[in-house]
Amino acid sequence: MKHLPKHLQPRWRYLGVGIEAWPDADLTRGAFQRELWFAAQNLLGDVGSADADLTVLGFRFGGGVGETVVRARRGHADEARAALACVDDVGGDPIGVRVRGVSGTVRACEERYLGGRAGHSGKRNVAFEDADRTAYSRDGALDVRLPSGFAGATQLDFEP
Amino acid sequence: MYEAVHAYPDGDSTAARFALTAARYGFDGVVVRVRSAGEAGPASYERVRDEYGVDVVDGIEVVAENPQRASGGIGNYRPKCTLLLVRGGTDGLNRFAVEQERVDVLARPMAGDGDVNHVLARVARENGVRIEFDFGPVLRRDGGHRVRALQGLRKLRELVEKYDAPYVVSANPASHLQLRAPRELVAVGEAAGFTGEQIEAGLAEWGRLAARNRERRSESFIAPGVKRGRYEEDD
Repeated sequence: MKHLPKHLQPRWRYLGVGIEAWPDADLTRGAFQRELWFAAQNLLGDVGSADADLTVLGFRFGGGVGETVVRARRGHADEARAALACVDDVGGDPIGVRVRGVSGTVRACEERYLGGRAGHSGKRNVAFEDADRTAYSRDGALDVRLPSGFAGATQLDFEP
Repeated sequence: MYEAVHAYPDGDSTAARFALTAARYGFDGVVVRVRSAGEAGPASYERVRDEYGVDVVDGIEVVAENPQRASGGIGNYRPKCTLLLVRGGTDGLNRFAVEQERVDVLARPMAGDGDVNHVLARVARENGVRIEFDFGPVLRRDGGHRVRALQGLRKLRELVEKYDAPYVVSANPASHLQLRAPRELVAVGEAAGFTGEQIEAGLAEWGRLAARNRERRSESFIAPGVKRGRYEEDD
């Protein structure tokens, strides 16, 4: 079908989103998109969800951190923010989500809000709760592997 | 704006990790609510505060199954911490907590079979006990549990507005991954029928409470409006 004339095309807002997870998490764009749709539908209902029309565009994830651009219809950025805040788990991996900012174009969004933090830079052994544990480090933060999962800590917890 | 968090061993992240994440998210501070006094105390919070530039407040959340036990906890912990919270969740505990002037915050009043009515809202206001709006289930549950949590929040909001009771807002995060930035909480609050100002005021209230209690615990404090020191000069 012939595309709409420019003044009738929908206007969008692009949310630059930072994602954080435990080091063993494996997230994909598809899984995140699905969770986001669920979250939007549960929180905003079918009507609100259709209005906001959330789409995950770029998606990068590795080493426990990721970032993505989420497209929302203009005027629904706050609803998009609320739906994103309710995504707490993707395929069984708990995640932290933070909207770093909102832009009018994908390019501005990527330039201004993405390309930030690197993933895990290394492993080291730490003494946590009187036991020797492996910890994954990433700019000051340490994720300590425990038998039951992970514990979040920082350098500060292991300095005397 | 402040967030009140459950740090290791109650939660999955240490107080330092919460502080690091909260600083990135734009909070002014975190209230660490532990279940008992001891281990990692205010001394280690001091270092975290200096390192990450966010305030860390030592709080104790009294979790008891009945008012008698809670009463013991309050007497025991009140002198040892800056903020004292009592976890509600039953009618008896909610009632008990709002009647105690020594309690700062009644946490999770609508969890479980807990309920709040006009009597409790009025008493909470008289005693200055903050009622907590717990956004945890709204952010992390779905289906029927979440619907009931939203119903609870709505009822609580109507009572708090009507009787002008003091309140705080928290997402009750148990790990740094469950932490959400203030603007996200405002957006969720607005979707749930709150105004943005209400959420911001509820988050800021933690900081105000901490500042008030620190002043009260300082050496020069005698009674509200009375403190030891040089007299104030008239202008």
